[in-house]
Amino acid sequence: MTETDRLHPPDRLAARVVPYWIIGDSISSVVMTALAWFLGRPWLADHWDSWSPAWENALLSLCVIVLAAAALIPPINYARWRYGFVGDLLLMRYGILFVEERAVPVRRMQHVDLSRGPIERLFGLATLVVFTAGNEGSAFRVPGLPTHLAQELRDRIVQMRGDGRL
Amino acid sequence: MTDDSDPPPEMPETAPVLDPAPAATQRETIVLAKGHLHPAVLLLRLLGALRQNAVPLLLGIAVETWFLVAALVLFVVQLGYAVARYLTLEYTLTNEELCIREGLLHRQERRIPLDRIQDLGFESTLLRRALGLAVVMVETASGRGVEARLDALSRNDAEHLREVLLAARPASAKPTQGDVMTAPAAAAPRPPEVEWMVHRSSTMELLVRGATDLRLGAFAVTGYAAFELADQLGFVTQLAGIASGFREWLQSLPPALLFGVLAGLLFLVMAFGVVTSTLGNIVQFHGFTLRLQGDVLQRRYGLLTTRQKTLPRARVQRVTLEQNWLRRLLGFAVVKADSAGGSRSDGQDTTGGWDVIVPMTRYTTAQTMLPAMLPGIEHETFTWRPGSRKLIARATIQGALLALVVGAAFWWRLGPNAFWAALIVPLWSILGVLTWRNLGWARGESFFALQHGVIGKNFACVPTAKVQAVVTRQSIIGQLFGLADLTVYVAGGSPTRIPDLTLGDARALQRELAGRAATSAAADW
Repeated sequence: MTETDRLHPPDRLAARVVPYWIIGDSISSVVMTALAWFLGRPWLADHWDSWSPAWENALLSLCVIVLAAAALIPPINYARWRYGFVGDLLLMRYGILFVEERAVPVRRMQHVDLSRGPIERLFGLATLVVFTAGNEGSAFRVPGLPTHLAQELRDRIVQMRGDGRL
Repeated sequence: MTDDSDPPPEMPETAPVLDPAPAATQRETIVLAKGHLHPAVLLLRLLGALRQNAVPLLLGIAVETWFLVAALVLFVVQLGYAVARYLTLEYTLTNEELCIREGLLHRQERRIPLDRIQDLGFESTLLRRALGLAVVMVETASGRGVEARLDALSRNDAEHLREVLLAARPASAKPTQGDVMTAPAAAAPRPPEVEWMVHRSSTMELLVRGATDLRLGAFAVTGYAAFELADQLGFVTQLAGIASGFREWLQSLPPALLFGVLAGLLFLVMAFGVVTSTLGNIVQFHGFTLRLQGDVLQRRYGLLTTRQKTLPRARVQRVTLEQNWLRRLLGFAVVKADSAGGSRSDGQDTTGGWDVIVPMTRYTTAQTMLPAMLPGIEHETFTWRPGSRKLIARATIQGALLALVVGAAFWWRLGPNAFWAALIVPLWSILGVLTWRNLGWARGESFFALQHGVIGKNFACVPTAKVQAVVTRQSIIGQLFGLADLTVYVAGGSPTRIPDLTLGDARALQRELAGRAATSAAADW
């Protein structure tokens, strides 16, 4: 580890986080587009005077874009996500439009959680949530970790904290 | 974080000592102070209950006896509760914790370890002052603000409690998170008390504070409330009549005179705002003193309700000198501090200057006070670095995008007039230039400082040992220009954000700050 490459988080998430994210995103997107198309469209056609096929096409393309985004964004997100320990810093880098790089010293961590939602469990994935002191922005999440790895990381943090404490 | 368990209830005086080292680590529980609420509290409660039930009581006498009965029952219940609370509440201060027991049916015992106590404050309303009482407020790092409230003790008891507590603190208040190996308070030689009267506010300063308060929003709210009231009372039609009469009168005036009248009115409104704000500030901060005793900052202030607030300076996470444009022009600043667990959004008196350390003083004076809040800053040499010039380009591009959106949105309504939206572009560039000129950051040996502002100016200083996490963030435009924002999180208050650093600077600073946070003691905050 040299000073210059210190802040390059080395690890990638588990690849199966992509289908998990797609499913998760799709649920809300499908519900939203279905509501817009099957309820919103007839209502607008009845109640809005200037409703025209042009507007209908616009709505349709909006629905398509929303659905496509649910399928296309997760792979890009996965490709951009990096995390990992460098020394005693937990690093994360992620984001498409807004790129964030986060550095959290292990010594500053107050407690560590693992969270596993129902779909996450189907994929054998877990999210590591790290808390530092403070109110605002004190929780740091690393999603899409294989469960056993997430547990290992958690144990490692606990152990490092234990060592640091004398 | 595991050392908060109850201490051994009794420690035999002659415990078998095998070797001296572990003996030093054993804690002895010494009761330092013990007491009850002041009896005059019952009078306070009686008055409070009377006030609360005044309306039902009057209604009961005047309209319906049923109200009277209900009010009496409520009154008796409230009084009974107050008496029970008064009789059962007992506080005990030992060298390890503050324990408050209360309750007759529902017994409650609250134990607060001394090293968790962030802040101890007193507050006396006019009535309590007349009775010689003070409310004691104990604050911890839980982020909930006031953890325990003793309403009320006699002034002497309160002062005694504070003195004993502060005297007991130094040994137990060192960074001991998860560390049981603390020497008992009695054994540690106390460092010589530093006593520094850091600041005493003059009336002139408070006048400046009131007169330079630019928050006219509050003022608009008052105006609206007055209008609502007039509406409720059915004055609006009359008001409308007066207004239209006034308008006709205005229209009959020659333009020069009209301008004069309007300017005069505006001046009156402003003057009213300034006067109310000034009075408010004087009532709130009258006789403000900031004093450093040992390692503890103490503030006392107030004309009607007096407040005393104690803040151990080891808990200070960030100090800010704030100047709006008017104060900047006059060379005055407000000093504020964020402390661990404190939050700007909650706490019962955020408007009461919760985190105000000095309500108003000359900027240069404020700078000389910094060592009182941030020990060691006097040895620090800051080499200031400017923000990236690309910030101006970034602002201009953002202005252009905004102008496009606004122009497009108004095109179908205004036609070619929508081109006026292009004015946003130079405006945004000017804002960019101003922001760039005010932006600067400096990293010293153990502090990190930031200056920012558009027309006003803020100076913020964070001890690097308090840093919890460091985040850089790039927006799309930031990615185009190679710019990044750096956000430094500390254990309390709001995070410190430095906008528009070059990506290289941001990363270097992030590495540096995070690295220091990783190597400094675990519970330094």
